[in-house]
Amino acid sequence: MMRQLALFLAGLLMISAAPAPAQVTFDGFLQGLYGGRLDKNNPTATEQTASETRLQLRVQHTGASGEFFGRLDFVFDGADTASYDWELREGYLKFRLGSRFDFKVGRQVLTWGTGDLIFINDVFAKDYRSFFVGRDDQYLKEPQNALRSEYYSPLGELTLVWSPRFEPNRLPTGDRLSYYNPFVPGIVGTGLSPLYYFDPPQPEPEFKNAEIAARLSRDIGGFNVSLYAYHGFYKNPMGAYVVMVDNAPQFVPYYPRLNVFGASARGTLAGGVLWTEGGYLDSRDDRDGKSPLVPNSSVTGLLGFERQVATNLTANIQWQLDYMTDYDKFSAQQPQGVFVRDEVRHLLTSRITKLAMSENLTLSAFGFYSPTDEDIYVRLSAAYKYTDEITIAAGGNLFAGRHENTDFGQFQKNDNVYLKLTYNY
Amino acid sequence: MKGLRQALVIALISVLTGATTQAQDATEIMKNSHLAYYYAGDDGLAEVNMKLIDKNGKVRDREFSMLRLDIEEGGNQKYYTYFRKPSDVSRLSFMVHKSADGNDKRWIYVPAVDLIKPISADDKNSSFVGSDFTYEDVSGRHWTEDEHKLIGEQELDGKPVYVIESVPKQEYKGFARKVSYIDKAGLLPLKEEYFDKKGTLVRLFHADRVDTIEGILTVTLRTMEDVKKGSKTTVEFASIDYNLGLTDDIFTERYLKNPPRQFVK
Repeated sequence: MMRQLALFLAGLLMISAAPAPAQVTFDGFLQGLYGGRLDKNNPTATEQTASETRLQLRVQHTGASGEFFGRLDFVFDGADTASYDWELREGYLKFRLGSRFDFKVGRQVLTWGTGDLIFINDVFAKDYRSFFVGRDDQYLKEPQNALRSEYYSPLGELTLVWSPRFEPNRLPTGDRLSYYNPFVPGIVGTGLSPLYYFDPPQPEPEFKNAEIAARLSRDIGGFNVSLYAYHGFYKNPMGAYVVMVDNAPQFVPYYPRLNVFGASARGTLAGGVLWTEGGYLDSRDDRDGKSPLVPNSSVTGLLGFERQVATNLTANIQWQLDYMTDYDKFSAQQPQGVFVRDEVRHLLTSRITKLAMSENLTLSAFGFYSPTDEDIYVRLSAAYKYTDEITIAAGGNLFAGRHENTDFGQFQKNDNVYLKLTYNY
Repeated sequence: MKGLRQALVIALISVLTGATTQAQDATEIMKNSHLAYYYAGDDGLAEVNMKLIDKNGKVRDREFSMLRLDIEEGGNQKYYTYFRKPSDVSRLSFMVHKSADGNDKRWIYVPAVDLIKPISADDKNSSFVGSDFTYEDVSGRHWTEDEHKLIGEQELDGKPVYVIESVPKQEYKGFARKVSYIDKAGLLPLKEEYFDKKGTLVRLFHADRVDTIEGILTVTLRTMEDVKKGSKTTVEFASIDYNLGLTDDIFTERYLKNPPRQFVK
């Protein structure tokens, strides 16, 4: 945290020393977010899913040779115990070397891939705690400290991202959102026991535990075609190991090692945008699928299409397939009485966005549905820009599932609605 | 005296131009007007202040830089837009590859999530950033898509203008009939009236200020009124430069992500 502050202050200092103040901009927002749950039987400790006031400060300095951008959040959180917190969301320097290299160094948000809220080759950190309670879309992407270099040549573009320290996804911890714990097994939260606060240990911050991601892109026949590679860890603690405590085995969750290799293509077709992406998830800690405590390798692919279906109305649809290798070994290892996923998991999604009142009102619905996992997640939102400065938004996150241990089924008690007021300055 | 001279000029033009050549002339005028208005110079950079004024007089501001490169005169163009205001879209950039065959491509870059997204560009009549201008108003409807007829010549705000009626060759959502008032001197459109199928005036364009910038006549303040909704949008160029020597590579995903700071501060 201190290092983050130092970075931000260094940026500010750089700005104050800059001779041309016209190139410095400050802006941001003040926001209140209040969310309540619809299912009172949730095993969590808190009544509300959100009760927070957030101040975001943004500062940008563009100079002749580069630019600094900083985004700093202060949050007062009243949902749990009243607490203050702050986070440096972004704080980076961007500069160019020669005519072919672009660099972005520091705390930053990273995104690539083609899926709409489905991520295959984008193994950058996500924040589902924010995503499920109605925070702005920008909070789904979690910042990470990284060095990004981009090399552009007439043949294509090569991007390398090196993150010295592993950054996991932020998942529901049990205090505000309940989750499925396979060792209970069942849906748990800190309302049942504080032991269900979910805080798995992370890989040691050592050089060998750095994450590396690469992408090679170019245009082929009007389609943007990319190849990807990632070397690091599963971003969710999907593995476990056993330790003996007082001669009794205890399971400790951890982040298994992972490689991802994949490809994508995206372009315009039939008056819309078509995209496809695939990837091979190489589970490095369990390559032959022997261990019941580490995920198997898998092959996954998606196909999506979006188009404007009427004036100010856009709709898209996606279909994802996820094939697990060594499925026979996996299913044989599963305990009795729990739902076992299919060898091929299907996921369908659709987003519909309607703009109205001169684009000041945005209505949006996003649905995930897996016919094989038999679960659903629906995100609804309505946002009205009362003025350029003031936006009022309301929405909901609704989950349903036949089983407690599927991706969305585990959140079935977390249905919530929220109200959000934003003042942009 | 002025009125007499004008009448003589009009009479002379009527004599000199037969009815058959009139349609050709009208098409030629519209073509040249299109080139003067949408293709000024080889490229351009405008600092734009846009005001969206709703029927109750409530004002919303948009501030952005817009870069344009003509790939061929009257044909393909590339646009790059970088937003400054309002603050919730600041630093957002937007790119259009306008194609003469109608298959435009559009991309948006959302910096807060580092996301590049191509957007389906089927409907050119959708509003540009919520304003009363459409995408097509910004980048131009090709003159060959309409039949043009010179229906009169008159004075508008003291300037002699051609009055040209345009009817889409194929049924079109944007308008059923358009009447343009084209400045004879600079060939810029000074006023446009858009009518729907019933013949009702639905939108009204007005060039409020014309300046000569680097030797090029430029509409530096313009208004589009949505007569039905009662709203209007004004676009003012705080500054404009032509022939900066922009190159093709600026209009790529690289610069969408990393704004070309030599032009866009």
